[in-house]
Amino acid sequence: MNNRVRELRTEHAWSQADLAERLDVSRQTVNAIETGKYDPSLPLAFKIARLFGLSIESIFEPEPQAATPMVSRHPME
Amino acid sequence: MSRLSYRQYQRRTLLAITLYTAFMLVVWPSVHTIGSLPLKILLALAPLLPMFYVLAQLARLIRDSDELEQRTHLIGLGVATGVTAALSLLGGFLSIAQVLPLDGSVLIWVFPLMMACYGVTRWYVARTYGHDTACAEEGGFAPAGRLLLLALITGVAAVYGWRHDWDSFRIGLLCGMAGASALLGLLLGFVRWRSREQSGE
Repeated sequence: MNNRVRELRTEHAWSQADLAERLDVSRQTVNAIETGKYDPSLPLAFKIARLFGLSIESIFEPEPQAATPMVSRHPME
Repeated sequence: MSRLSYRQYQRRTLLAITLYTAFMLVVWPSVHTIGSLPLKILLALAPLLPMFYVLAQLARLIRDSDELEQRTHLIGLGVATGVTAALSLLGGFLSIAQVLPLDGSVLIWVFPLMMACYGVTRWYVARTYGHDTACAEEGGFAPAGRLLLLALITGVAAVYGWRHDWDSFRIGLLCGMAGASALLGLLLGFVRWRSREQSGE
């Protein structure tokens, strides 16, 4: 999942430690989210969105995937 | 109750483990020679106190961790439980088949083995999330330094034991611990130095 957490944090002139303190998580967790190595849980994503005053989907977006056709759950349909 | 930081956890467990090791090396061997049964039981079970203290601190650290840290703890504990259970089963089968002569004293290694597996797995999993343990403990003592310090302490204890006619099992154990800690410390230090060189710090 791609996200704009680093960009938003930089805009607010916060360090990773500052953001971690505001979110009540460790600095390593902020770093893992920013580098895309860890996708936060829904409650944490809401917390991040609320902190920056944005919606979740404007901060997090799924990886762009190759267009896949809609597949029916029942192949015979 | 205030949140337990990783540094506090390390400081407390290091103290407990030092006390445990000193007790096991200096006092505990006299458990064989004490005649009084209540005193013998008391002495035999005394090492449980620091062990329970370490477990309580670990539980508190996990409780106070955030979601990513809890995930790494969970994976570490899961792998440690699996490895320890598998090795215990393996040892049990080999012992029953009289291939490997094991007595009850081997059980005292179950807890250290589990904790070692947990530590190594957690370190590895944390690294995959980009968590550099060497700089994670801001202001703390790097793992390589801690291991080298452990190597020095156990090495000094081995020399002390050798000069005071300790039994060969204890001296061998200390020498093995000192050698393994020194090797691992040097390896971790080298890895850290290389990653610093590559990142141009």
